[in-house]
Amino acid sequence: MKNSIEIIINGFSEKVLEGTTILDLVTRFKEGDVDLIVEYNGRFIYPRNYGEMVVSSGDRIEFINPNFGG
Amino acid sequence: MIREIGEIGQKRLRRARICIAGLGGLGSISAYYLAAAGVGYLKIVDRDRVGLENLNRQILHSTKDIGRPKSESALEKLRQLNPSAHIDAVTAQIGEDTVMALVGDCDLIVDALDNFEARKHLNRASISREIPFIFGGVDGFSGMVTTFIPGKTPCLECLFPGVRFTKEKVGAIGPVPGMIASIQSLEAIKIVLGMEGLLANTLLHVNGLDMSIKKIGIEKDPDCERCGTVGKVSHHEE
Repeated sequence: MKNSIEIIINGFSEKVLEGTTILDLVTRFKEGDVDLIVEYNGRFIYPRNYGEMVVSSGDRIEFINPNFGG
Repeated sequence: MIREIGEIGQKRLRRARICIAGLGGLGSISAYYLAAAGVGYLKIVDRDRVGLENLNRQILHSTKDIGRPKSESALEKLRQLNPSAHIDAVTAQIGEDTVMALVGDCDLIVDALDNFEARKHLNRASISREIPFIFGGVDGFSGMVTTFIPGKTPCLECLFPGVRFTKEKVGAIGPVPGMIASIQSLEAIKIVLGMEGLLANTLLHVNGLDMSIKKIGIEKDPDCERCGTVGKVSHHEE
């Protein structure tokens, strides 16, 4: 059985299972914007890499909706 | 005289040729600060006319301008501010057919557009002509800004390769485009002056709801269909 780890998502502490990927989190937390930006420990992550990026305890993830108005 | 600029810097600003694409919330601020800084040539471009709903943030325009082309309204204010600047005011849509003629004779692009489709054309012109492109965008209480330098940073389509942006009109609380465009103007001035400390490879995100400002590290996508080969050393050059 997998242990849970604690990470920070959008500024809030969350418990997730070990082995959780960015893709899992996007699926779980996404708010519907297909062009969502994922910031992972201060870095922009390309969507094609979401599935291979496994989060670790203490990681910080932010979901940001891009702004295209002027 | 500002110490970091000096007489030499002021001459550089006077020789600069900057295109400001869009004269709404972002472009109003950028155009004003760049004209005020002494930029010698500004090409200001917008396709729209001034509307009442614009006036919470588009501070180059006022109620008496409602119905006028934004480029014409902006030109009048900017000429009052800096009569010695050469300002080309163009009412046009930025599209595949027009973008090169609009930005090709400039050495810097300030993006103040309100839609992604036109930004893609600016991005392609930026890459093709190797013109730095200062991206800014706002929505509600938040905004973002970064500087794309062809060959050295990602491009717009590295970050947003498949954007299907469908919102027709995006509103923003006035101070947010004020902040984002102020940063864009500062970037433009620093580029002209050859200063370091740019927002290259960094996306700055401002959230006015919780007053957070964060820098997000970004990097070029080697597989970007638009700029993936720009800046790479070819086999002939190795």
